[in-house]
Amino acid sequence: MTADDEKFFAWLDGELSGPEASEMEAKVAADPRLASLADQHRALSGRLRTAFESVEQTPISERITAAVRTRKAGVIDFGAAPRSREVRRPAARPAWMAMAAALVLGLALGLLLRAPSNAPFKVQDGGMYAAMSLERALDTQLASAPVAGNVRIGVTFRDQAGGICRSFTSQEASGLACRDDGGWRVRGFFAAPEGQDSEYRMARGMDPNLAGLIDTAIAGDPLDAAQERAAKQNGWR
Amino acid sequence: MNQPPAFEDEVAALLPRLRRFAHALARSPSDADDLAQMTVERALRSKDRWQPGSRLDSWLYTVMRNLWIDTVRSRSRREKSEAPEVEAATLGHDPSEAVHAAIELKRVMAAMQRLPEEQREVVALILVEGFGYRETAEILELPIGTVSSRLVRGRTALLAMLGEP
Repeated sequence: MTADDEKFFAWLDGELSGPEASEMEAKVAADPRLASLADQHRALSGRLRTAFESVEQTPISERITAAVRTRKAGVIDFGAAPRSREVRRPAARPAWMAMAAALVLGLALGLLLRAPSNAPFKVQDGGMYAAMSLERALDTQLASAPVAGNVRIGVTFRDQAGGICRSFTSQEASGLACRDDGGWRVRGFFAAPEGQDSEYRMARGMDPNLAGLIDTAIAGDPLDAAQERAAKQNGWR
Repeated sequence: MNQPPAFEDEVAALLPRLRRFAHALARSPSDADDLAQMTVERALRSKDRWQPGSRLDSWLYTVMRNLWIDTVRSRSRREKSEAPEVEAATLGHDPSEAVHAAIELKRVMAAMQRLPEEQREVVALILVEGFGYRETAEILELPIGTVSSRLVRGRTALLAMLGEP
């Protein structure tokens, strides 16, 4: 790429001014090849703008506007979540999958890199799965039971595909994991706000992001203590 | 005196533009909407990081771009071989305007997908979103010369792909 090319395009994009601009303008006017190139690129830019402007004509999906509204309303009262579920449930692909992908990545990978030997996550089959103490807690702890280790189980429920999901809270974060053939696949992982230890957080309630994630994923109501015990005996299937 | 608009309202007002940018980056409309949603979630959660008085739109574009890069990187490990398909969108007979627009969008998105990510984001910000070189350099945290040369490569490749109607 020559500096001349860049200058030509900078002129085309209105990035040049003064003598530089008039110099390029004269050059283009004097060169039919450049003039034609300018026309082609103007047409290309116009075409791109028009194509993507059509996106604005399509309605913004409810789940995106809901994300703004949810935040504005402040901390979600998870107890109230099932009532509002009908209006906030996304239409097609569960948004929380994609959301989890990005949310999980930064933080969880950070943990993996920092403490590879006892990280609470492992990567397998292209997914992030619970490991070590987190996996143990998800496998064995009942939400109704008192907190044994440093992981506390929040709610257990079936997602819209019928699988078992469980929310958890640990020292640094809270999240959601769902059972599949590979183990407990982590669907969302949210760092605790800085300066809040887990005790404070537990007392204060669920991270609103986690609550929103559960709200999107859950089918029906959370399992009660008896259903949860039965699900555990059934190997979380 | 009017109250300044709430942060959430300002974000909501920028949603159409954010969504447009997401479509320019992502490989499908549903991926684009996922990206827009993630961006909104992330932005609202970390609104303390936005400096009042600075441009909210630029900040949101930065948030979206970073999320997109994260997603692309995590996905490319899984789906390395799966190159995006360029659909041979065949125009039907007398398609309605909306259908025509949808087909055109699909075609343009497919062409954008074939650009390397570092060119795609520059093309999206400058040619689609209308940011200047300087603003784009700030959003992407790149030297302006890098922005300029990537733009030349990206638009030249796009013209080769889309040049013939």
